[in-house]
Amino acid sequence: MAIDFRESSGIAFAALRANKLRSLLTLLGTIIGVSAVIAVISLVQGMNRYVSDRLLAEGSDVFWVDKYGLVLDEDAFREAAKRPDITEADADAVADVLGGQAYVKSEASAGLEVKAGSRKAQRINVRGVAGDYQIVDALEVSDGRALAALDVERRRSVAVLGWEVADQLFPGTDPAGRSVDVEGRRFEIAGVAKKKGSFFGESQDRYVLVPLGALQKLLPYEPGITIGVKVRDAGRLQQVQDEVRAVLRARRHVKVGAPDDFGITTAEAFLDLWKSFTGTAFIVVVGVAGISLVVGGIVIMNTMLVSVTERTREIGVRKALGARRRDVLLQFLVEAVTLSLVGGAIGVGLGVALALIIGAISPLPSAVSGPAILLGVAMSALVGVFFGVYPAARAARLDPVDALRYE
Amino acid sequence: MSVLIRLEDLRRTYQVGGEEVHALDGVDLEIADGEYLAIMGPSGSGKSTLMNIIGCLDSPTGGRYLLKGKEVSSLSDDELARVRNEQIGFVFQTFNLLARADALHNVELPLIYAGASPATRRQRAVEALAAVDLGDRMKHKPNELSGGQRQRVAIARALVNNPSLLLADEPTGNLDSRTGDAIMELVNRIHAAGHTIVLVTHEEYIAAHARRIIRLKDGRVESDERVRGDGAAPPAPAGE
Repeated sequence: MAIDFRESSGIAFAALRANKLRSLLTLLGTIIGVSAVIAVISLVQGMNRYVSDRLLAEGSDVFWVDKYGLVLDEDAFREAAKRPDITEADADAVADVLGGQAYVKSEASAGLEVKAGSRKAQRINVRGVAGDYQIVDALEVSDGRALAALDVERRRSVAVLGWEVADQLFPGTDPAGRSVDVEGRRFEIAGVAKKKGSFFGESQDRYVLVPLGALQKLLPYEPGITIGVKVRDAGRLQQVQDEVRAVLRARRHVKVGAPDDFGITTAEAFLDLWKSFTGTAFIVVVGVAGISLVVGGIVIMNTMLVSVTERTREIGVRKALGARRRDVLLQFLVEAVTLSLVGGAIGVGLGVALALIIGAISPLPSAVSGPAILLGVAMSALVGVFFGVYPAARAARLDPVDALRYE
Repeated sequence: MSVLIRLEDLRRTYQVGGEEVHALDGVDLEIADGEYLAIMGPSGSGKSTLMNIIGCLDSPTGGRYLLKGKEVSSLSDDELARVRNEQIGFVFQTFNLLARADALHNVELPLIYAGASPATRRQRAVEALAAVDLGDRMKHKPNELSGGQRQRVAIARALVNNPSLLLADEPTGNLDSRTGDAIMELVNRIHAAGHTIVLVTHEEYIAAHARRIIRLKDGRVESDERVRGDGAAPPAPAGE
C-alpha cells in the first residue's frame, strides 16, 4: 500500500495549527464525547471497586436476616413493614440449628443522643448487640476491651464507643474507665473500637455498641432485630441460608408456597444491586457521549469534505503521478483519523483530569484505568474512520482529468 | 527504433447537453522510442484530449491505444494509475507541485506510489534534483523557488521513476521567455539522453525544438512533418 503518511498526518496537524479556534470547534464533539466516557468509566469503576472492597471486606461469608430484605421501592417497604419483627427468640433458634456451622449475632439499633459531661453527640447509631457479634462484625478494639458475653447476658450498661464518638466526646483523652450518658442512663465505657474510615463520605465510626438487652431497656418500644450470620465454611453459604430460611419459615408459620415474610441479604446481593444501578447510569452517559461523538464525527466529515474540495487539483496531480483509488482513499482517511485522534487525545486528557478532580474534591472515588483510555482512543479513531470514509471515497473517485482542470 | 505508442482510429466523444462532441475523430499515430514530438493545434482541436489519452489520464471511446505493444484503452482506473506511475512523466504548465512539501518530497511522490522504500526514494529523488541542477534547493518549498526552478522540480519529479515517455503540456507557458528557453534547453538535454518526449504547445518556437510536429484540427491529424530541431541537439534519431 503506497500511502503518503507524512503528508496526510502532516496536513491534518498543519490545518489544526493554522486555526486553533476553528480546530477546537471541529474537535469539540469528539473531545466532549471521549472525555465524558473516560470520566464516567473512571468514576463508575472507582465506585464499583470501592463498594466491592468495602462489602467484601465485611465478608463474602456473611449474610443478614431482617424483616425487610433488600427493598427497592416505597411500596415494597410499606408492605414489608407490616410483617412481624424478627425477635431475639428467632435469633436464638437460628443459632441453635446452625450450631458449629456458623457464628450468629443479633442486633437492633436506634439513633440517640449520647452525652459525656457537657459534650453531646446527636443521632448516634446506638447498636444493641448479642451473640457472636465480635466475630460477625469483625470488631477490633483499640483501647480497653469489647463487650463481654456476661455484659450481654446480664444486660449491663456497658458500652464500646466507635472511634469518632470517642474522639468527639473525649477529645485528647482516653475514655476507657469513664462513662457516657445515653437517654439518661449511665454506660461505663469498656473500650474504643478501631477506626474504620468513611464510606461514600459517611463515617463508619459514628456508633456506640451496647448489649442488646441494655438498648431494649432504653427504648419505649421493642426494636426489630437483624440477625447476622457468618458461616465458617464460605463454600456452604447457600446451604446455611437454606437452613436459616427453613427454621424461620417454620417458627413464623409461613404457609407452604407463600413467600418468605423476612429477607436474607448477602454482600453479593448488595454488590449486584449496586452494579445494576451504576450500570444504568453508565449506559445513560455513554448514550449521551455517543450523541456528541456522532455530532463530532459529522463536523469532522464536513471539514474533510471542504478539505477534499480545496485540494481537488492536488488529488488530480497525485493521480497523474500514479496514486490509485485506495492510495487517495487512505490518504484522506489518515487525515480524518489524525484529526479525530487529536480530539480523542484531548478528550482522554480532559476525562482523566475530570475524574481525578472529582475524585479529589468529592467523596466519590475514581479509578482511571488503561482499558478506559484505550477505549477512548479507539472510539475517536472509529469516529475518524466512520465519518472519514465518505469524503475520502469522494476524493478517490475523482476523475484525474477533471481534477487537474479544477481551479 | 521500436514503436512506443500506436494509436489506431482513436476516438473520444463527449456528451455535452445531450449533444455528441467528437473531440478526437479518428486519430492514427505512431510514436517511436526516443522520438521528440510536438503536438500543436488551436484550442478545440483535440490536443488536450489527445494528451490526456496518451498520458493514460483518460480512455478513448473508440479505436485502440497500444503502449509498448500493450492495449491500454480498456484498463481500469487503478491499472491506468499504475501505467502512469511507471511509464509516464508529466510536466504541467502550472507546475502542479504540492505547496506544503519541499522539493525533495515533491520529487519523491511518484516513488511513494511505486512502493519504493524510503531510502531508495530519498536517494533517487536527490539524484533527480541534482540532474536538473537543483541539488542545493532540495529543502525549499515551491513558494521559495522561482518559476524556472519550480518547473525543474516538476521535471525531476516526472523523470524520477524513469518513465518511457515524458509528456509536457505547455511547459513554458507560465514562464518568461528567457526562463522558458532554459527549460527547453533542459528538455532537449533530456531528449539527448535518450528519453521520448511529447510536447503539447501552441507556440511555434517551442514546437520548433522537436524533431516532428503533429498538427491537429477538429479532432484529426492535419499534418505530420519532420523538422530539423532548433537546438544544438544531435541529428534526429527518429525515423522509420
